[in-house]
Amino acid sequence: MISQKIIPARNWGQRIAAAFLVAAVAGLLFMVGTSRHITWSAIPQYIFDATILDGIRLTILFTIMSMIISILAGAILATMRLASNPVLSGFSSLYIWFFRGTPLLVQIIFWFNIQLFIPSIDIAGFHLDTNTIVTAFVAALLALSLNEAAYMAEIIRGGLLAVDSGQHEAAKALGYTPFQSMVRIIFPQALRVIIPPIGNQTISMLKTTSLVSVVAAQDLLTRAQNIYARNFLIIELLIVASIWYLVMTTIASIVQYAIERRLGKSTRQVPDLWASALRLMRAEGRNG
Amino acid sequence: MTSPNAFVPASPLIEAIDVHKSFGPIEVLKGINLSVKKGEVVCLLGPSGSGKSTFLRCINHLERMTSGRILVDGQLVGYHERGGALYEMSGKELAVQRRDIGMVFQRFNLFAHQDVLTNISQAPILNRGQAREQALARARDLLKMVDLDGRGHAYPYQLSGGQQQRVAIARALAMNPKLMLFDEPTSALDPELVGEVLGVMRKLASEGMTMIVVTHELSFAREVADRVVFMDQGIVVEEGAARDILDNPRQERTQAFLRRMH
Repeated sequence: MISQKIIPARNWGQRIAAAFLVAAVAGLLFMVGTSRHITWSAIPQYIFDATILDGIRLTILFTIMSMIISILAGAILATMRLASNPVLSGFSSLYIWFFRGTPLLVQIIFWFNIQLFIPSIDIAGFHLDTNTIVTAFVAALLALSLNEAAYMAEIIRGGLLAVDSGQHEAAKALGYTPFQSMVRIIFPQALRVIIPPIGNQTISMLKTTSLVSVVAAQDLLTRAQNIYARNFLIIELLIVASIWYLVMTTIASIVQYAIERRLGKSTRQVPDLWASALRLMRAEGRNG
Repeated sequence: MTSPNAFVPASPLIEAIDVHKSFGPIEVLKGINLSVKKGEVVCLLGPSGSGKSTFLRCINHLERMTSGRILVDGQLVGYHERGGALYEMSGKELAVQRRDIGMVFQRFNLFAHQDVLTNISQAPILNRGQAREQALARARDLLKMVDLDGRGHAYPYQLSGGQQQRVAIARALAMNPKLMLFDEPTSALDPELVGEVLGVMRKLASEGMTMIVVTHELSFAREVADRVVFMDQGIVVEEGAARDILDNPRQERTQAFLRRMH
């Protein structure tokens, strides 16, 4: 028998579309690359500029601190939301509703201007001007943390709910106290569900911190803006900032991938728990 | 009433008095009375929805009863009695009380993130103050007893249902409970795996463990149970020696149920 070559069907539509795309991107790159309005030499000049590096330090500091605060606050809010006491769960719902329902940018400006309606704090003869405590840094950190806490609360709640109720019952039946059961049985299992979305939130937070430039909180974007306010190299410094944001998010993504792989290895339960957490959160969403 | 006099017949290990339980408007337990002596094996039979699992879960206060009382070894379960009222115990006090009451669930409920040895040994270490080495040695012995020698480092998902249930039994036994509650321990198992779990329970019964077993396994009840309690619609319809109830049921409802089971 003659062996015949098999030729798969050619998809001409896709080939034409791909050719157009390559041409369009090449054209755009050529246009940008040959632009006489961009001073390319400014990019290597500023990429390791001390001011920019200091801005990166602050952006990372904002990200780490706001994530830590929001995880702690979110854990408390999630526990409150799941409490049987209606005041506790009601407060938590209200908090989440409010902080998710208003724009972060508004919250940042609000905290920065807090002294307008709380000019000072007086407790038992102790006097503090709000302005001296709530600096741009503190306002930015407060806004990022309190806003993120609302999202974190929902992520943690989803994780706790994803743990099968049989695990609670078995722990009870074996004489675990409620605290022991939470720490030894429920939380470790919830963690597998909670960690991947926390990774996503962290990566997102790296970029979200740029919003605090609106109160000049000295993050990466604020520093870039400060520099281009003097030398008018606007696009060049935005490119410098973008390069650094890309570097940071890429590194964070690699770390996240490594953590998730390690988590995935220890038990087959992960996808199941993950799926049930998503299902629960969607179901909650439908209810209101 | 416990008496220091050893010649007085022992009070029952478990005593349930007029236990009622409602879920909203639905009354699932309508006054259950039951007393179980030390070393006795009692099987609770009845159609689904008869309240037998709910009753079992009241015995270690996993379910809060609406009224009535349950005593285990002379101690009121779940409540303190003060001035004619029952005050529910705190989570911590309940935990202490539950350490003496072993329970095995229909769906095993092994801790998914722990290997078999940790599943078995953690509670005795945390809640009985056992040394780690001692708890692990005991866990290995218990694994031998349930024919899972050497599977200590497996995770629950690596085990079959029957193996998981046998680990769950070992886990409950590791606390040295005064009694064991079994909530339909073989209902979630493939038919060919039922035997291995019943085998372990049979062994346990022969060693003198006090057991209350909610089950649909009539042959197990006939062979192992000292007493069978037939429940329907929240009441005890009939109770007595296993053979009497299973072979010569007097009540119409028991007869109908047994006909359906054959």
